[in-house]
Amino acid sequence: MESDGMIVQIRGVYKSFTRGSEQLDVLQDLNLEVPRGEFLALMGPSGSGKTTLLNLIAGLDRPSQGEVWVGGQLISQFSESQLARWRTRHIGFVFQFYHLLPVMTAYENIELPLLLLPLSGSQRKRQVMTALELVGLTNRISHRPGQLSGGQQQRVGIARAIVTDPALIVADEPTGDLDAKSASEILDLLCELRESMQKTILLVTHDARAAQRAHRIQYLDKGRLVSNEVVMPGP
Amino acid sequence: MFKYILLIGKNLRRNLLRTTLTALGTMVLVFVVTLVWSVLDLLDGVMAEKSSNLKAIVTERWQIPSQMPFAYALSLGEGAARSPGDVRPQDSMTWQFFGGALAPGVRSREDLVFAFAMEPKKLATMMDDLDNLPADLARELQENIRKMESNRQALLVGPKKLAQIHKQVGQRIKLYSINYREINLEFEIVGLLPPGRYKETAVMNRDYLNAALDNYPRTHAGKKHPMAAKSLNLVWLRVPDREQFSRVADQIANSPLYGDPAVKCETASSGIASFLEAYRDLIWGLRWLLSPAILVTLSLVISNAISISVRERRPEMAVLKVLGFRPTQLLILVLGEALGIGILAGLASAGTTYFVVNQWLGGVSFPIAFFPVFFIPVSAFWWGLGIGAVTALAGSIMPAWSARTVNVADVFSKVT
Amino acid sequence: MSVSTSMFSHQHVSPPLALAWRLPPELTIPLGIALAVLVLLVIVGKIPLSYNVRNLAVRWRTTVLTALAFTLVISLQTVMLGFVAGMNKLTDESGQPGNVMVLSDGALDELVSNLGFSETADVDRHPGVVRDQQGEPLASREVYLVVNQPVSGTAGRQQRRFVQVRGIEDPVVAARVHGLELYPGGAWFSDAGVQSQNGSSGEAEQEQAVQAVLGEGVAGQLGNDRGQERLEVGDVFDLGPRKWIVVGIMKSAGSTFGSEIWGKRSLVGPMFGKEAYSSIVLRTRDAAAARSVADDLTTNYKKAALQAQPETEYFSKLSETNRQFTVAIVFVAIVMAIGGVFGVMNTMFAAISGRTQDIGMLRILGFARWQILVSFFLESLVISLVGGLLGCAVGFMADGWTATSIVSGGQGGGGKFVVLELVIGAETLLAGLLLALAMGAIGGVLPAIAAMRLKPLESLR
Repeated sequence: MESDGMIVQIRGVYKSFTRGSEQLDVLQDLNLEVPRGEFLALMGPSGSGKTTLLNLIAGLDRPSQGEVWVGGQLISQFSESQLARWRTRHIGFVFQFYHLLPVMTAYENIELPLLLLPLSGSQRKRQVMTALELVGLTNRISHRPGQLSGGQQQRVGIARAIVTDPALIVADEPTGDLDAKSASEILDLLCELRESMQKTILLVTHDARAAQRAHRIQYLDKGRLVSNEVVMPGP
Repeated sequence: MFKYILLIGKNLRRNLLRTTLTALGTMVLVFVVTLVWSVLDLLDGVMAEKSSNLKAIVTERWQIPSQMPFAYALSLGEGAARSPGDVRPQDSMTWQFFGGALAPGVRSREDLVFAFAMEPKKLATMMDDLDNLPADLARELQENIRKMESNRQALLVGPKKLAQIHKQVGQRIKLYSINYREINLEFEIVGLLPPGRYKETAVMNRDYLNAALDNYPRTHAGKKHPMAAKSLNLVWLRVPDREQFSRVADQIANSPLYGDPAVKCETASSGIASFLEAYRDLIWGLRWLLSPAILVTLSLVISNAISISVRERRPEMAVLKVLGFRPTQLLILVLGEALGIGILAGLASAGTTYFVVNQWLGGVSFPIAFFPVFFIPVSAFWWGLGIGAVTALAGSIMPAWSARTVNVADVFSKVT
Repeated sequence: MSVSTSMFSHQHVSPPLALAWRLPPELTIPLGIALAVLVLLVIVGKIPLSYNVRNLAVRWRTTVLTALAFTLVISLQTVMLGFVAGMNKLTDESGQPGNVMVLSDGALDELVSNLGFSETADVDRHPGVVRDQQGEPLASREVYLVVNQPVSGTAGRQQRRFVQVRGIEDPVVAARVHGLELYPGGAWFSDAGVQSQNGSSGEAEQEQAVQAVLGEGVAGQLGNDRGQERLEVGDVFDLGPRKWIVVGIMKSAGSTFGSEIWGKRSLVGPMFGKEAYSSIVLRTRDAAAARSVADDLTTNYKKAALQAQPETEYFSKLSETNRQFTVAIVFVAIVMAIGGVFGVMNTMFAAISGRTQDIGMLRILGFARWQILVSFFLESLVISLVGGLLGCAVGFMADGWTATSIVSGGQGGGGKFVVLELVIGAETLLAGLLLALAMGAIGGVLPAIAAMRLKPLESLR
């Protein structure tokens, strides 16, 4: 059950990996709540566990111990295939390296997640066109990723993330591969989307300037939340 | 040079999966080519005219099957020599075919036995492939010949045939003839024919058949057996060279002894070639359709593997170029990889085929002409090596060339 | 189906029509299942097929190399099976369903059969034998011989060819019994069976030529010797001790009679030393009658020991060589196919290692493992289907080629030297397509499983 308008609730989560004979404790007794509609940035040095945390929230991985609730569902109990189905509907992904299929057009890349939903062709088309409009790429419909600039590719990536209308968007270093101007534009776009569509955004980044666009910055170190900085009041 | 080989070996080991798949593909295809070429090799061999120590065959002039009176046997064995200056063959052998079933009226393949009726001692001197047996088999054959000479009812049976009719050496069988009506003969199986070419046949003493034919009138109111004058099927002659062969052939052609029916004398190879004439298109297809198509397929498989590996390694090739490798060296590197796979896999395949087919399977059965089995010749090792090398080269030229022409700037701009 | 019409059978004239019927269920059912599975996979797989097709186009070089290997394997199999299909056509269609073939007891083949003239004089009086308008039984008494004919071989070597000669008592009756017709312009041989040679001096003592009616196949073979398409009416050739003159050509493609020379029995038999009949062929009402007449003659005919059988049965026994060839062909095709499978595996493994990031992303978006498997599996099938279809097309070009071969009943059964036409029918093409799909499936499944097992997070790094 979702309580108190928290879209993400993490309770006592541990996550460890075994590499060879040694055990690596990446996350330790972690508790976190993210209110619906918040733009939260996760920062921390390499190996601090911020990406691992993001993956747990996005349903790409399961904790070794503890509970992960997202949108009122205890996703840490889901099987792998349940997670896959859940991700399609509830999570939008934005990647550092865009991860578009190079042989498919912008339109087709955006349409991909919709193929997993029971939608008619015309419904899919409507949603793809809406997403394209939101990211301002209606004039690049049939371009392939190779024909687009980095910033444009990331816009396609964002369009693909929002096309299924998920409540939560996770972005792992979405500006890490972009020049300053494009990066700023992408962040503008994310902020706009959050405001206009009431999305919750989780951003993992190294870039302090990117983090400054969030409502709140959560710092991690050695698998623990260390401090919490409110940049601007929440939604 | 040695460093090159080392580098090539390392590269092949790096994507072990691809190297293995390519090698397996090569082995499988070389295996088929080896089989096909073994058949062609044997056929070419028997059809090639020998210049010395050749065999001639005498048969009825026009008809197939050749049926001559046994009365021809003695003089034909002498090459129809009459006058003092005439040439006599060095050796000779008569063949009479006797086919019989284990029970009257039975016609299934498993119950039929086909025997060459001949003089036992000629087994060791005139039969193809039996004159160069390994020592132990030769001894066994001599032993069997002695048994046949002392026992007219003795029968030697090929190992496969014996298994087919579910009998053992030492057992007695009665054969109800299918080509000599009412000549049903009892035999004692005294030994095995050597494995290989004769594994499905049998050999009996000709005296036994001829005596049975001679006895026939006594039980049939003096009437001769319908096949009485047609019981000699083939006479083999051994002559030292072509010149002697021509003279013997002339003697036979001009002899007044062989009027009805007339006979012909030809070299064994030409007789076999005539018989194989019926298979001409089939052999042509094996030689010029099947074999080339397999070789091209093999080239394609190798070419595919090599071009994949070149494409994956373009950045690396560029680095090598930056380090000072010359285009030709890159070309050689890629060709070397292809050759390495091709030659090793080709040799391995030919070797495996050689041992498995010859030692283990006892030859390949292919229903062409009257050769029951084909063996893989030793030259298969060279074929394997050659096929591997040639197809690898043919397949790798294109990708190797593209490795040669890797553009450093181009690659690095893509890698960033 | 009669022999004379078999050459015009739909199968040969218009292959697309043949596709509409006569397809054996043992091929159509697997192919139907394969295609249904294919369509189903495309639908449930969700990852658009265009993703695979475009990737194949991007890696066009490996795609072409792999597909071409398929093309070669399939076209080769198609040609080889077409050859056997040609042989099968001969053994299936040479016999007339209502005919009974009478041989001497124990003879596995007419070549070694001897029927004395007097002992078998009233075989055709059997009440089951059909009679013509004049009340004469439709029975053909024949002597069948294989004669060797010298041909100028390569390198001056004396070579011989085996020619099949059939001595016939009454060609008109024989033609009716065997369902054969002559091409226009020809005639059956006369009662005398000889005529003077055209063009020569015409002197009275000039040797008379034996009149011969040729099957199409042998007419072509003999014609080739002298650079003609085939021998025509009026042409003279040497065979045995005599000259022969062609008086007619039989419409006999697709039957073993196409490889025979027919002449007057009373000339042919003695010329080659066979003073007996090889066979007597009786026409009965239908297949059932043929069976009962054959059984009756075999058991109850007392003047000579006979072995009578429906003619169709006799010819089907000659298919032993066909069977052996089929085994050899299937073996070769499968081994080659295995080679092709390794090729397609290489291609697909490389495709996957080049696209691990695609796979990782798709998995994160929510595509299931099996959908990844299906996608790459389909990609392999696309290659195989394209290569296979091309192979079928190339193989189909061999349809109608003529080739020589032997049909026989195996060991000691004699055999017939035949000229056959390759028949690339719908079955052969279907078999090719099936083999291609099987190769693609087998070669594609392991790489597809490897793709499926990739861990999404790791493959994105």
